[in-house]
Amino acid sequence: MLKKLLPAALIACAVAVPALAHHSFAMFDQTKVVNLRGVIKEYRWVNPHVSLFIEVNEGSAKHGVWAVELTSPGNLTRLGWSRKSLNVGDKVEIEVNPLRDGGLGGGFRKATVLATGQVLQARLVEIEKPS
Amino acid sequence: MSRFLALALALTAAPAHAAAPVDPVVPAPTATDWAALARLPDWSGSWFPVISDQVKQVTTNPAPWKPAVQNQIDHWTAEEVAGRPRGLLVDCLPHGVPTFYLITHNSIEFLVTPGRVTVLGESDGNRLVRIHTDGRKAPEDPDPSFHGYNVGRWEGDTLSVSTTAILPQTWLAVSEAVGVPIGEGAHVEQRFHLIGPDTLAVDLTITAPAVLTKPWQTRRLFTRKRQRSYEIVEGVCRQGDFEPTTDQWGNPSWRLTQQSADGNILAPGHP
Repeated sequence: MLKKLLPAALIACAVAVPALAHHSFAMFDQTKVVNLRGVIKEYRWVNPHVSLFIEVNEGSAKHGVWAVELTSPGNLTRLGWSRKSLNVGDKVEIEVNPLRDGGLGGGFRKATVLATGQVLQARLVEIEKPS
Repeated sequence: MSRFLALALALTAAPAHAAAPVDPVVPAPTATDWAALARLPDWSGSWFPVISDQVKQVTTNPAPWKPAVQNQIDHWTAEEVAGRPRGLLVDCLPHGVPTFYLITHNSIEFLVTPGRVTVLGESDGNRLVRIHTDGRKAPEDPDPSFHGYNVGRWEGDTLSVSTTAILPQTWLAVSEAVGVPIGEGAHVEQRFHLIGPDTLAVDLTITAPAVLTKPWQTRRLFTRKRQRSYEIVEGVCRQGDFEPTTDQWGNPSWRLTQQSADGNILAPGHP
C-alpha cells in the first residue's frame, strides 16, 4: 500500500510547487545600480521574463554567478533584441538594480557586449509612443 | 384515489414536459455580414500599452476604494515600496477583466469578425476576451469567469462593451503587486475608440460594490504598431518556471528552475 501511495505523494508534492513565473520587479532596489563585469554563463529567452546568468570575477561587485532578469521576449524583440543577442561565453558589462536582500541577482538596466561595443537596453517607455 | 394518482403522475411526468432550455443558434455569416465589416474603424496592427500613462492614471485618478480596502491598498503599496512585492500574477492565473486592460505590459490585437470582436493578448498565456456584437443580451446567469461575459455594440466608431459575471477572485489591480479581488457583483463598461490615427483609448467604468464607493472611471491608452517585430508572439506564463534539460532517454525536456519566494530566478549556488 505504501508503495502505491508513495508515488502519488511525490506527484502531489511536485504539483504543489508554486508557479512563480510572472512577478513584480519590486524585489530589485531601483535606487541602486551595480555594474557587473563578467562572462555570460546562460541566457534564457523565455516568457514571461528573459533571464541570464553572468559570472562576475572582476570589479567591485560581489564575485560569483549573478542572475539577471529582463522583460518578455516579445517586448525585447521590439527593442531590437533576439535570442542570439547574447551568447554563452560573451564578455559583457551589465548594469542592474540589485536584489534588496543582498543576493546575487538584479533587474536589468543595460548591457554592453565588450567585443563589439554593442549596447543593449530594455526601456519599455522607448516603444510606447507611435512610430 | 384516482385524483391522487393523477397528481402523482403529473408530478413525476413534469420534468419530461418541461420546456427544453433555449439554445439559440448563431447563424452563419453572409457575404453582406463580411462586407459590413469594411465600414468599421480599422483597428488592425498590434496595440502596445502606454505604460507610463497607466502609472499616471493611477496616481492622478486613483480608484475610489472603500476605507477598509484603502487600508489594504496602502499596505500592499508600502510592501511593494519596501521591496516585498506580493506578486498578483505569480500563479499565472489570468489578469481577467478589467485588469487585462489596466496593467498589462504587453500588446493586444483585435480580431473583428461578423458578430464578434476578439481581443487577443500576449501576456501570461496569450489571454483573450470574446466580445459578442451580434445583438445578444448577456445570459441571465452565466458561469462566472476571469474575463466575464462580454456583450458589445458598435456606436459609430466606438465599441461599447459591457462585462458581467466576473469571478469575485479576479484582481482589480493598479500594479503587478497592488490590487484586491474585485468581489461579487462587479460590472465593467468599456468604450474602445481611436483618439488619434494610431492611438486607441479604452474608457473604463468599473463598478465593484464590494471594494469601491462609486464607479471608477479611468482611461488606458494603446499605441498602434505595424512593424512585424510588434506582432504578438507566444506568451506561455509558466515557461519561466522551467529550464531545459534532457530526460533519461536523452529527449529534450524541462525541469523546475530555482526561484525565490518572490518568484525571481536564482543563480546556481544561491542559498
